[in-house]
Amino acid sequence: MYHYLEHQKGSKTNEDPILYDNFMQRIENGDKIEANDWMPAEYRDTLIKLISMHGISEIMGALPEKEWVPKAPSLERKLAIMAKVQDEMGHGQLLLRVTEDLMKPYGRNRQHLMEDLLSGRLKFHNVFHMPTKTWADAGMVGWLVDGAAIISQTNMLDASYGPYQRALQRICKEEVFHAQHGESIIMALAEGTEDQRKILQDSLNRWWPSLLMFFGPASAETTGSSKQEITIKYNIRKSTNEELRQAFLDKYMPRVFSLGLTVPDETMHYDDVQEKWIYQQPDWNEFKLIIQNKGPRSKARLKVREIAYSNNSWVREALAVAGGDRP
Amino acid sequence: MDKRNEALIDLLYQCADDDLLVSFRGSEWLGLAPHIEADVAFSSITQNTMGHAVYFYRLLQELGEGDVDVLAHERPAVKRRNAVYLEKRNGDGQYDEDPYFDWALAVVRGYFYETYKRVKLISFTNSSYEPLATCAKRILPEQRYHLAYWEEWMKQLQQSSPTAKEKIRTRIEEAWSLSLDLVDFGQYEQTLLIEGYINDPNELKQQWLSELQSKVKDLPTRPLEQVKNGRNGEHTKDLDEALTTLSEVYRTDPVAQW
Amino acid sequence: MSEQDFYQEFEVFSRKNPRSGLMHQFSLLAPNEEMAMILAQENFMRREEVMDIWVVPSSSIRHMTDEEREALTQRIDNKNYRTTKAYGYLRKKWQDKEQGMLDEQEIMSWKEVKKNRG
Repeated sequence: MYHYLEHQKGSKTNEDPILYDNFMQRIENGDKIEANDWMPAEYRDTLIKLISMHGISEIMGALPEKEWVPKAPSLERKLAIMAKVQDEMGHGQLLLRVTEDLMKPYGRNRQHLMEDLLSGRLKFHNVFHMPTKTWADAGMVGWLVDGAAIISQTNMLDASYGPYQRALQRICKEEVFHAQHGESIIMALAEGTEDQRKILQDSLNRWWPSLLMFFGPASAETTGSSKQEITIKYNIRKSTNEELRQAFLDKYMPRVFSLGLTVPDETMHYDDVQEKWIYQQPDWNEFKLIIQNKGPRSKARLKVREIAYSNNSWVREALAVAGGDRP
Repeated sequence: MDKRNEALIDLLYQCADDDLLVSFRGSEWLGLAPHIEADVAFSSITQNTMGHAVYFYRLLQELGEGDVDVLAHERPAVKRRNAVYLEKRNGDGQYDEDPYFDWALAVVRGYFYETYKRVKLISFTNSSYEPLATCAKRILPEQRYHLAYWEEWMKQLQQSSPTAKEKIRTRIEEAWSLSLDLVDFGQYEQTLLIEGYINDPNELKQQWLSELQSKVKDLPTRPLEQVKNGRNGEHTKDLDEALTTLSEVYRTDPVAQW
Repeated sequence: MSEQDFYQEFEVFSRKNPRSGLMHQFSLLAPNEEMAMILAQENFMRREEVMDIWVVPSSSIRHMTDEEREALTQRIDNKNYRTTKAYGYLRKKWQDKEQGMLDEQEIMSWKEVKKNRG
């Protein structure tokens, strides 16, 4: 799934101006940068931050849906959601591999990423701090949270960093299955019994603020942080947080309404003159708290991850290569 | 219903319920394995295995036992025919709160189960019940990977650190005390044998044990034991908990379309 | 031994069918090549056909630098003599003599030869 863009201290830049200009020229020509190529420290650090958060959000994002995997209401649903959550773990694998190659010059590897996650240094996406209370939430994550993720990931399909761009190609192809998987759960509930429709509407009501927050604040002033400009400068992604949020609303609002669902915001509408969706801002202070691991399920999810990681460390120790290359 | 039919149905429940419980325990592991790459691969095995359970439940559905989801979600523990070792919890804690799961249990159980499943499926390929023979022939090629995966883990951990060796040894001891009913065919064994639905269970058991002996260090020399016989519907509270979880959403409205 | 040494890098290559070449899939971490092999298919080819897999320690691969890669694309475009482009005029010549051109399609079709002719 995905990450919003957050502020990062500029690692500006004592770069060799000739190398730097040459690099920017390559990016502007649409060249892809490869892992071992020269790159400015700011580019490397932006990518590390962006992709490590993207990758670790996949790993953490597996957990809320996974809560419903053993409970899914039929064998077919059990199989499908298992395959879907497996893909999320697989996306995490792809993205962490991309990050690990970028971190090599800093002598850091996957173990450090896991430790950073558990210590709170490495953040994961706001949506995965939220509870999945009912089966409808499993569907909502599959449908709208994944929908939002697809919007932001496809926006980077032409990213200037080759390994990320190639990972995203793989990921987005699988997201097509995820999108339809989510729709299928939602459709059954929307066309189901009164109780099913009720848990569906209830789920959307609870997830609505998180969905708006998904893309991050429109500008740095909102929360005092945004690094969207840097990623656009380096041709990693094309659009701003707000442009992506509007694109999400374009694609999904008509579908939401067509199912007879409502959103918990009476002011929500499309403004034909401004050609954009008007909506009530979510509570960005709450957003700030959530991404500092102070959301409703932050601690619980980190605890699950921490237990799974440390309780099985004997396995990794047992198979560690004797005298292996230590970065 | 004649005894032949009852016996056949009982056999198919054993197969279906074994694979259902193995895949249920596997689904609890999803996202929690010691290594991400191993997690992804493990989940494929779990999905395949649940697919095998579905296949067996379909054979039962064709014999008039009812819809596959009813069979998987509604039958009480006393009707379940899975071996008791397979229902055992993955370790301590709950999968969504505090999963103190033990990879040594996953490896030993995975290896023991897949080894036996292979022996059993090969024998089913000449079952006189044609749909069962066909089913076994279809499952076998895919199941080869399941065995290879757990065999690799077993081999590597048994050659590794003292801690790992000890954890594996402990779980092998445990498997030995719990898994006699895995190689049991239940109350209809004689009928199943006479009708040619299965091959001689003793032979299967010997094949299984000699396979284990050729690959695994430190196998106990005592005979296999069991605490309860799952083939007769005797189960532990671990199964009750598993059934509660796996049917939690289903039970809120068993007739709704989900 | 440190847990860090569990994470060895392997590149994964696969072949879709007997006629196709190996394709790079992605890379994975595993403690050794046997484990890498057992993990490769389900990590990268869950939905794809595959009939052969190679795993290679990433450290065994000599990468190109970006300058080297750039050089690959910088040959002068004057090598028609090495290709069929230089011989396109033959088509017309053979046409005049009522003969077909031995182009790629024609030559690749020669794998079948008439049977039972002694």
